[in-house]
Amino acid sequence: MIAVPRRNNKGLAWTVFRFALALLIALIAIFPIWWMLNVVFAHPGEPVSLNPRLWPTSLSAGLSKIQAILAETGYLRAYGVSVAYALLTILGVLAVASLAAFEFALFDFPGRRLFFAVVLLALMVPTAVTIIPTYLLTSRLGWLNTMQGLVVPGLASAFGLFMLVQFMRAIPKDMIEAARLDGASHLQIYWHVALPLCRNALVTLAILTFIQTWGNYMWPLIISTQTDMYTVGQVVGLYNSPLSHNTVDTVMTANLLAALPPLIFFLIFQRKIVEGVAMSGTKG
Amino acid sequence: MSFRRHLPHYLMIAPFMILFAAFFLYPIVSGLFYSFHDWNGVQPPVYVGLGNYAKILQSRDFNRAMINLATYIALTVPLGILAALGLALLVDSFTPRWSNVFRNAFFMPVVLPAFLSATIWRWIYAPNFGLLNTILGMFGVGSVNFLNDTGTMLYALIAVDIWVSAGFNMVIILAGLKNIPTELYEAARLDGASKWQQTVFVTLPMLGPVLFFVFTYGFISAMQVFDKPWLLTGSSFASYGGRRNALLFPVMDMMGRAFGGVKFGEAAAYGFLLTVAIVAVTALMFAVRSWRERT
Repeated sequence: MIAVPRRNNKGLAWTVFRFALALLIALIAIFPIWWMLNVVFAHPGEPVSLNPRLWPTSLSAGLSKIQAILAETGYLRAYGVSVAYALLTILGVLAVASLAAFEFALFDFPGRRLFFAVVLLALMVPTAVTIIPTYLLTSRLGWLNTMQGLVVPGLASAFGLFMLVQFMRAIPKDMIEAARLDGASHLQIYWHVALPLCRNALVTLAILTFIQTWGNYMWPLIISTQTDMYTVGQVVGLYNSPLSHNTVDTVMTANLLAALPPLIFFLIFQRKIVEGVAMSGTKG
Repeated sequence: MSFRRHLPHYLMIAPFMILFAAFFLYPIVSGLFYSFHDWNGVQPPVYVGLGNYAKILQSRDFNRAMINLATYIALTVPLGILAALGLALLVDSFTPRWSNVFRNAFFMPVVLPAFLSATIWRWIYAPNFGLLNTILGMFGVGSVNFLNDTGTMLYALIAVDIWVSAGFNMVIILAGLKNIPTELYEAARLDGASKWQQTVFVTLPMLGPVLFFVFTYGFISAMQVFDKPWLLTGSSFASYGGRRNALLFPVMDMMGRAFGGVKFGEAAAYGFLLTVAIVAVTALMFAVRSWRERT
């Protein structure tokens, strides 16, 4: 056995302590999610929390619970609404923000500074002040309980524009000039030069927009008042209502299905998500 | 001539600017108009001057919401940031691989939509059979109805909030840590500073701007807390706020006036009051910061 130098003992103890502490905190962070999984994948009738089990006991029981929830048309429909809401918002935000960011970042035209400053101001205005008047406008347009009512008011994302402008500023002006000399039109430069160069930023923005729309609770709550336009968040809220008399199994199954898309996204894109959050913090 | 030359630019920004004007600028202006009117959405608005503002400022619900909010912010913002700072320093002390693993684990609660973390925790807090009460029962503590006992409701919410916000702030602080030049640590080491001294005299001061951002951002989002207390107290316009309004917050109160009481003018005025408060707090923080930088 190789003798460990004495002065390293303190270092080793410190390392063990740090790992133990980090594991404990990780457990607290993940436990509620893990607990939800346990409740779903357990034989029905097994006491849920009288004897908190630490691992799932039955895969088939969980799958049949998931099937039962999905068989309820209300849930499946809400899933469809949420997916459509998220996808249309992502497409809209990316298209609208990237077109504008291209101009704000790379060209000069009268009013550019003023327009951009006004948009940046929006980053500082709390949603509390706009939500009621925006609701009133949307309802006056006759857009209550419609997909456009859910999607359109959220398309002009000031954060999205700001983020893309930051990225497009790094594109060398020479490249734009070269493309122009080659006879490329304005739109062609946007499509073939600017967009590919900020693909990373576009992907990050798409992911952040997905997580944000999937988790948006307040806007659907007031816009979708009819059950056939409910989003997943509202249906989860219904399951969770004290008046619904659902068992914890059913509620957690509904929750798990709602949690899956963002969790899967996170497992795939964790770097981009974390970088996106960090960027919104350090540069915003 | 000049306009025609710039026309392509305007056409490209037009979609964004039109949507922005319609769903951001116009709502703010029309909201200001509504805030001076009594309006139920059906009959024509009636001008009431500052009546809506006065009504809100004098109402008991507003008082309750403000007291709740003040307690909530006083605990959740500093504790959340302290926890985040601790987590960031801990994560940063591992090798890149482990650091990545723990960062992701700590960040997990942030990825869950707020409506989900609230519903999961609602069941963990449930009386009698809830997980937390089961654990307390093992230590011989009687059942606590966390979400219905006015003495525990606010703290139950704060715990959920820190569970989420610590991970969010940690990621921002970690980005700040990466930006600290390593030469500073080398210089400190040459001067004989211990690890602990390096943290106190190099890391923390260099994190100043990041901590300021996290603090300001945390403050602004805490002032607008809505989803979690809404869902923790029953998720409907009939039961929001919980027992004796112990979990009533300003945005909930505003939404309740608009959609529970159909008083859109009052709700619009509420939004402006909140905005003034948020802008004032933000301005104050920036003022304090620049004052501290000068002295």
